[in-house]
Amino acid sequence: MEHQRCYIYSPTEPEERARKRQRTSKPHFQAQLPERLQTFRDMWSHQEERIQETLEDADSSTQEAIANFVSASSQDTEDLSLAIPTALIILGPSIASHGPFFERLGRRIKHDTNNIYVVLTSGESPNLKTLLKNLIKKVTSRVDDDDDDDEMRRPLATSRNGPKLLDFDLGHLQEWQKRNRAQNIVLAIQDSNAFDASVLIELVDLLHSWLDRLPFVLLVGIATSAENLEDRLAGKTLRYLQGQKFDVTQPDEIIEKLFSATVARPDARLRIGPNISQRILKRQRDHVQNVQDFVDALKYAYMSHFYANQMSIFLKDGISFEDLSSDDVEVARTLPSFRSRVEQLLDESRVQEVRKLLDDDYHTFRVLTEAIASGQNALSSLNAAATILSRVRQALQMSPEVMCSTIWTRAAAGEIIGSPFLRETMLLVRRVPSDKFAQLLNALEHSEGDFVIDPRPYKQELEQLLEQNPDSTPLRTQHDVRNDSVRTTVVAQKVLLSKHKAALSKQDKAYSELVGRFHDEMECFFSSAFINPQTLLLSEVLIYDLKSPHTEVFQPKPRYAIERALALPHDYLGCDCCSGVAGKGEGSALSGTQPASAILYQMYLESGALINVSDLWSAFHAIAGEGEEEEDGESKTMQRGLAELKYLGLVKPSRKKTDHIAKTMWKGL
Amino acid sequence: MASAKRKRVDNHIEASSPRKKHHDASNELHVHTPSRRARGQPGAENGTPRSILKKTNGIQATTPRTNRTLLFETPSKPGRDATPNDSPTVVRNADRSARRKSNRRLLQQAINGADSDQEALDDDETLAQHILDADGEEGQHEPDGAQETVPLPETPSKRGRGRPKGSGKGGKLRKQPSPPPSELPAHEEYFWQNRPGGTKTSNNTLSSHSLLNHDEYFQAMQSYHDRHGPEMEFLLELHQRAYDQWVFELEEGFNICLYGYGSKLPITERFTAHLYKYLSARAPYKRSKKTPKIAVVDGYVPGTSIKEILITIASTIVPPNTKMPNQPASLLTYLLDFLSENPPAHPIPVIINSVDSPWLRRSPTPSMLASLAAHPSINMVCTADTPNFPLLWDVGLRAQYQFLFHDATTFAPYEAEIDVVETVNELLGRSGRRIGGRDGVGFVLRSLPENARSLFRIIVTEQLALLLMDNDTAAFNDDDHITATPRNKKVAQTRHGISESTQGVEYRVLYNKAVEEFVCSSEVGFRTLLKEFHDHQMIVNRNDAMGTERLWIPFLQEELEGLAEDLSGDIF
Repeated sequence: MEHQRCYIYSPTEPEERARKRQRTSKPHFQAQLPERLQTFRDMWSHQEERIQETLEDADSSTQEAIANFVSASSQDTEDLSLAIPTALIILGPSIASHGPFFERLGRRIKHDTNNIYVVLTSGESPNLKTLLKNLIKKVTSRVDDDDDDDEMRRPLATSRNGPKLLDFDLGHLQEWQKRNRAQNIVLAIQDSNAFDASVLIELVDLLHSWLDRLPFVLLVGIATSAENLEDRLAGKTLRYLQGQKFDVTQPDEIIEKLFSATVARPDARLRIGPNISQRILKRQRDHVQNVQDFVDALKYAYMSHFYANQMSIFLKDGISFEDLSSDDVEVARTLPSFRSRVEQLLDESRVQEVRKLLDDDYHTFRVLTEAIASGQNALSSLNAAATILSRVRQALQMSPEVMCSTIWTRAAAGEIIGSPFLRETMLLVRRVPSDKFAQLLNALEHSEGDFVIDPRPYKQELEQLLEQNPDSTPLRTQHDVRNDSVRTTVVAQKVLLSKHKAALSKQDKAYSELVGRFHDEMECFFSSAFINPQTLLLSEVLIYDLKSPHTEVFQPKPRYAIERALALPHDYLGCDCCSGVAGKGEGSALSGTQPASAILYQMYLESGALINVSDLWSAFHAIAGEGEEEEDGESKTMQRGLAELKYLGLVKPSRKKTDHIAKTMWKGL
Repeated sequence: MASAKRKRVDNHIEASSPRKKHHDASNELHVHTPSRRARGQPGAENGTPRSILKKTNGIQATTPRTNRTLLFETPSKPGRDATPNDSPTVVRNADRSARRKSNRRLLQQAINGADSDQEALDDDETLAQHILDADGEEGQHEPDGAQETVPLPETPSKRGRGRPKGSGKGGKLRKQPSPPPSELPAHEEYFWQNRPGGTKTSNNTLSSHSLLNHDEYFQAMQSYHDRHGPEMEFLLELHQRAYDQWVFELEEGFNICLYGYGSKLPITERFTAHLYKYLSARAPYKRSKKTPKIAVVDGYVPGTSIKEILITIASTIVPPNTKMPNQPASLLTYLLDFLSENPPAHPIPVIINSVDSPWLRRSPTPSMLASLAAHPSINMVCTADTPNFPLLWDVGLRAQYQFLFHDATTFAPYEAEIDVVETVNELLGRSGRRIGGRDGVGFVLRSLPENARSLFRIIVTEQLALLLMDNDTAAFNDDDHITATPRNKKVAQTRHGISESTQGVEYRVLYNKAVEEFVCSSEVGFRTLLKEFHDHQMIVNRNDAMGTERLWIPFLQEELEGLAEDLSGDIF
């Protein structure tokens, strides 16, 4: 079994390559793949910029605060070197985002001042000695870049100053500090929760004893809470620390921000559909909580659209008729949205137009490009409406609090219009008192130009009204419940309830009228903006909403795939021999023609925790050996099947009985 | 929980009609006790008292013996299986007639709730249960029923609570309806599949001829023709269509992980070729003598280490004769720094076959691979074979890997990945076959000095003597051949007992023997001789229960006898 483990690939036989070339060069459905991919790259680079901006925005304030803390601590080290300045950074439970955070923080800290920044993780610090070795290596390697044989070189360098220093002696750092005069040595402990408590304690004690010579600053990343860290450290150690707590923006907030910066962005040319965005968000919430993963998912959606959808060429900026290949328009005519448009035209008996659409390629192309433009407009006003709706709800402090992304996905699915959700919001707008109305207008004013209604005239009017308002109580509209009173009258032993409007003051009346106008305009806007995007012509091009490659690619079910392959090999093989017997029940699908491992696996499923190989053997022979007589072939396949089960980790040897194996996995769990 | 609820239900329906009561109770059962589910199912909806009868029918319909598949029916010897567990025919007939009654009785009890007074039911219930059990047993023709079943007591005498010994495990299984209940919640399914019982297996052992050794396997392999060849080729073809897509995904900075049943080597091989061709047609290589470099790692080969992987990757980019750090960790940082400072013209493709192999699983390797994969100048294509490989990576690592997963089921045999013969031998604890059985031992012995051969002869004879002695004490069926056919299970069992504790020759005894026979003069010499055997895995050290060291040759008895013959016949 002499086999090379790692090697550089070299092609084998040239004639095989020739054969391959022939295969790939045959006509391809991917006609304008390069153009489409170029479009994708353009589009994605915009998105990526936005993402970077958002990410930097998201925790810039925290990073700023931490950086300030670091530089501030360097100033007052002279007067109190009693305790190590420590920033306790509460990062939250999503460990995947910790690394990137410290990376960004490091860039910032190094950029700001003459600091040395070192990140330590629990993985590389199983004990104090290794931790210190790593620390020293990381700090000093800034200067002399590759010191590979540290055992060889380090002692030489220091031997003239006295006894040899061991390679985990902080004396190295002191030496280094003498030469480099760093303002601070910032030590970031990325995952303090994963550190052994004793290592942390020893580290703090040691750093403290060196504090008079080396200006340490500790940054401690905490996934749980500062109290938790406090509990793990000894009281004496705690006194060596002078802590300050920093809260980092939690990933779900960042995700929300990212979502509105990318998916729910006013000028996005390609929209991510409701299903897939819901999936991405749900996955974020339930499983990963990782910004990078969100970005990847989004990117993959874009990639799939442009790679697999021939029609996505229409999204190219400034597309001209010449860009298209001959059959592109033809393909567009088969799209469901195109067909329904044609049917609609036929219903309106505009036959001429239909004929033109079907025959005249250029005309169709024009129609389609217009459809793209108008569709994009419609989608961005849908997007604006969703954003505004969520802003309104936020300004009115309505409960339950619904995330913008949720509203957006519902809107994109065409579920908002006519929903109780919208109705409730609008009702509340109608009877909003003047103080909240002012807030609402303010909130709308701050949202950039994506709102078609200009809130400013309303604001002016409102201000005028408020000036005239004699007392400090806010103005109320006629719909406000406080203006209603119920009058009870008893007539002939019957109780009559009648609602009664309280008399409105003049200002209230004017205010009611103002709010009424606002409400009407808004309602009008909503009802025009909240459309069902699926009805747009070329919605297949404008919106990517396919579940299929996305789910499998990000949430694979490898175990299920293997179980399925073994339990129902026909699903994959699609052969004639194995399908014939397949009935409804699980056991009945067993047949001698299936691959040996599949037969064995199905028998394995029926057995208990211990399996007698001898019996398995004879059962296997009974099934596989129906047709053929050659003993060796069967033994061989059986043996191979057994080995494969072992390789897949389905069985393990058992010492309980001779020739028995133990079952280790159960199906479908 | 189930019983508590049931109690509550019982309490609150006390006043209501019996109809209601029955209905509720059966529903309760339906939800909470999977084992009784099938019982409650037929006619659970029409909860009239009459339906109890219907249920009785239902039970009879689902009595598992009808559904027992033939798969694990051990080859029963005709005429044998009837003899041992013969309960008197009268009793059996009585059982038959009593079955319906017992069924009803059990059901009644189930419906009334387990919390009802058990003592009162105790006697009759045991009997009823017993009748059912015995009945099921007969239906199944278990050949080894002789040892497991306790014969029916003639009269239903007073007995302690619970079911009689021996009927325990098997009986419980038999109560299970064999078509598995579908759509159980995951945890329930776990318990269903892990239900007690079903562990009863026969004592049959494989005869030594049924397993092929390397040569035979190889021979069989060459003549073997897989009937699914075309379909597998088709699957490969299907995956091949995705190559361009994969290249695109790699270009966009993702890494790829392939999973699914079947060896994925053919795929990675072809994909590597495809990638090679693709890259050769690209900018830096087109019209130049340079060729793209693709690092391939075969993770399934024993002993693959992260260091080798890193060195291979480094060799694609770092100019030769550069001194690189020795430690894997610093090598990794060096490599990553190098890549960031001198980014190559295109990301370096790294193909890792079986990234979940045991050699790449251990602690620092996955995280190092992850940080490698996270670098933009590395494109990683991995394959993973085991079903649970995602458990290797936590969220952080997974984010670093940036994997896109593709199902690449090929059904291809794991030819390179598994050493079939070896794996099966290990699985069955027959590692002695490792050195190639008798012939292998002969080969080794021939190359050893005379003394070593004599020592080995001593061990063989001693071990044989021990085995024979044990067989005599077992004194049941002193065949020379202890091939444990179903006929003499008892022997097999005793033999099995030996293998656990007292197998092998005691070290001290052996040493003394060796000295007596002038094989060696000192313990040092003795050790040296043994070492040679150890190296060739001809001998195994183990400590018995008392802590004394024992030496044992991992062969079956027939093989030992053959060896003894060969040794004494001076063939070597």
